[in-house]
Order: sequence, then C-alpha cells, then structure tokens
Amino acid sequence: MTREQIISEILNIFSREFEIEQPGLDNDLRETYEFDSVDAIELLLGIERFLKSELTHDEKKMAMEVRTINHIVDYVERLVRVREREAHQ
Amino acid sequence: MKGRRVVITACSAITPIGHTRAEIVDSLRRGVSGVKPLREDHLLSKFIHSQVFGTVDYPVDFDFRRTYRKTMGPVAYYACQVAKEVLDQAGLPPEFVTSGRLGVAFGSTHGSPTVQREIYKTFFGASQSEFRAIGAVDYLKSMVHTTAVNITKMFGITGRVISSSTACTTSSQSIGFGYETVKYGMQDAMLCGGADEYDTTTVAVFDNLMACSTAFNDRPRCTPRPFDRQRDGLVVGEGAGAVLLEEYEHARKRGAVILGEIAGFACNNNGGDLILPNRAGISETLRLGLEDAALRADDVDFVSAHATGTKMGDVIEAQAIHAVYGDGPFVTGLKGYMGHTMGSCGVIETILTLYMMQDGFIAPTLNLEESDERCAMIRHTLHLQEQPIRFASIQNFAFGGVNTNLLIKRFV
Repeated sequence: MTREQIISEILNIFSREFEIEQPGLDNDLRETYEFDSVDAIELLLGIERFLKSELTHDEKKMAMEVRTINHIVDYVERLVRVREREAHQ
Repeated sequence: MKGRRVVITACSAITPIGHTRAEIVDSLRRGVSGVKPLREDHLLSKFIHSQVFGTVDYPVDFDFRRTYRKTMGPVAYYACQVAKEVLDQAGLPPEFVTSGRLGVAFGSTHGSPTVQREIYKTFFGASQSEFRAIGAVDYLKSMVHTTAVNITKMFGITGRVISSSTACTTSSQSIGFGYETVKYGMQDAMLCGGADEYDTTTVAVFDNLMACSTAFNDRPRCTPRPFDRQRDGLVVGEGAGAVLLEEYEHARKRGAVILGEIAGFACNNNGGDLILPNRAGISETLRLGLEDAALRADDVDFVSAHATGTKMGDVIEAQAIHAVYGDGPFVTGLKGYMGHTMGSCGVIETILTLYMMQDGFIAPTLNLEESDERCAMIRHTLHLQEQPIRFASIQNFAFGGVNTNLLIKRFV
C-alpha cells in the first residue's frame, strides 16, 4: 500500500465521518477543525475498517500523539508495515 | 426558609401541536390534536395494540455544527434546539452564559432510545466485527444526561448540571429543582426542561401494561380523553421544552422581559407501589406546593392536571384535586391535545399554561365530552374560557410514585 493510497483513504474518512473536506496535511486538527478526542476514537474505528484489522491497545495509545493528517498517515504506514511483516512470518 | 424570587424570562417548546408560540396557541384555541397514526418501525409497531402517537410531524430546522451534532441522538437535537431558542430569546450577555452562574437542569426518560436500539442490535448480532461497530459516541448519545450535557457543550455553560430522569416528572423536576437552585442562591439562572424523541419502545412498555389507548386507532385525534367516560388509556408522544429561570433582581437589572414567576414547588413520593396512583401521595404534593408558595387553595385559578387518560389515574387525580382545591379552579388535561410527551410533559404543560396566562384564556380538555362521574366533582374546562389566570398549578406524576406540583404566577 502506497502513502498516496493511505492519504486518499484518510481524506475519505475525514470527509465522510467528520465533514472535513481537504484538510491541510500539516494543519493542527484540533485548532483548525475542532477535531477532538471523540473524533480520534471514531478515526481509529475508521482505520480498523480500512485495514480490515483490529488495533491493539498499545497501537491505539500511540494514536493519541497524532496532531495532523501527516501524523495520521505516518501512523497508518507503521501499522501497515507491522501487519505486512506479521503476514510474512 | 425564604429565598430569592425566581422568574421565567424565556421559553420554547417543540410539541405535536406546534413549535412557535403562535402555532401552539392557535391549536389550543381551535382544539387541534397532534395525535397521529403510529409509524411503521419494522420492529415493534406491528405488535403494539395502540396504533396512535403524539407526533411532531413538521420539519424542525436544526442548524448545528458537526462538532455539536456528533454526540447527539434525536432527543438531544430536540433539547439543544429549544435551549438555543430560549437563550436567543432571553438575550443573556455571553459572558454570563459561561460565567458559572448559569446552570442546566434538563432530562429525558432514557437518553436516546433510537441509539440504544442500534446498540442492542449490535450486541445481539453474531459477529465480532458487528460488535466493534458500536461507535465511541453511542454512549454519549444514549446516556440519561445526554440532553443536559449536549446543551452545556453547545453553549459553553459551566454552572451546575441537574439531570432528572424520572419518567413523566423528568422536566417538572427540572423546573422545580432549577427553581430551588436559583431561589437559594446556588445559581443566578437555570436553563430547565426536558425532551423525548419518537420511540415505539415506550409505547410497547405501556401497551404491555394495558395502559395505552387502543379503541381510537381509526380516529387518532379522538384520544387520549382525559376524565372522559370513554377514555381508554394514554397515548405516548414526543416533544421538548425549555424555560429560563432567573433570579428576579438579575432579570430586572438587565431589563429582561418577564413572562411569569415561579411561586412554589413540591415533590414527594408515594412511598409504596411503583405503578398505582396514590391519592394520599398526590394530595400531599398539592398541599406541599401551596405551602411552599404560601398560597391558599382558593388563590389558584387553574390546574393543569397530569390526566393521562388512564382508567384509574384520572379518577385518583380528580379526587386529589377536589380534596385540596374543591371545585374552585378550572382544571384542564392538556394531554388531550398531544398525548403524553413523557419526559417533556411537565415543561410543555408549564409553557402552555404560561401562554394561556399571558393571553388570558383557558383551553378546554380536548376530547372531554362527558365526564366520568367519578371525576365529575372538579371544575372541568369543557369550553374555551376567556379568563385571566393569576396562579396556576402544574401537576405531574410518574411511575415510581414520584409526584410534583409547580405553581406559577402571572407577572404584572
């Protein structure tokens, strides 16, 4: 899965779930779009559906650090790499 | 214990007989019913004997930003809409709204049943993926204080939160407890009310208890029939209402329009059966309300009876009214117009009484054509009366044996 594909899906989630269209990739989501902790939990559900894989408790805790779309994409890329590694073991 | 004077400086209601003041007053004057056929819900409706519902069948123009909408079920939409209208109408300074001196007393029967129904469907679904479909916000939409805290969030209110959830006395308690909070100085103003959304679960519960009307399924507007010989039970309804209670000097100093005054409040419990109406308990609430307001029984011109249209409830209430007031005040069962709007009935009936008090008329009990002889000892409002009201009593009683009596005074 490429970074562009992840960006595209994350933007889809933001549009569909949060009515936030084309957010700036480095904008602070809380300050710019009122993205809060409730949204963060909903986002994790969206990411689980996207990856068709449940996130572990530690993975979910890691997500609490994200502040921008680019942070989220970085986070999802890490999840994808972990799952690809696990699939090859 | 003497406290501060508490006045009403704004009100708004979404009811089966209208949303604006003009619509509601017109419905009361013309005898318009808001009871409609029960909607097909593809779950319970086909099993329910009572096929009528007090329905809000007009669109309400909700205009809330996503950040507020995301934690709201239908009941919170109603609650936030009437709260918004009340705050707009009151014109409180923005710095007061967020000062901590304004609180919220608001409730509903049980959060959002529409959202709860979806959660239960998921719980009893077969797969793990369905279980994970329960959203993070589902609890926030379905918890019993969802109306109160969605209001505080939307308007940045930082004062006290009271969230009564006592079925039919939910919003009369909201007003009563809000009144006491302002009266005794804990807050300078309280936004009080209640809401309940369209819900067939509630109908099914009362239907199973054989408390619902079934004989007028083909003529919805002819039921419920408070105090009438042909009454055959209650009609569940939906709606919302809010009032702003404000300490009198606070309201006067800012030049607020004062709509009415809270004269007194009482709340007690029957101390026994959770369902059966109790004449002693109800009579005592009525008496305690008069005592709190320092009024004599003959000071009260109008009684808004709880009067759900059930066989026994109306008889017991009529006996209690007679025991306390005799046959002096006009008595109207406002549920004849819209059914039993559950957690919102107390505040809606208070607002309707306030409108009648301001306009100098008393609406008759809709569908009361021939009084049950066991209810006939009180002064029923059988026809529209062009009649001033100085003091009114709004009575509400709930499952669990909870009784309330709110007394309001015309402000002159």
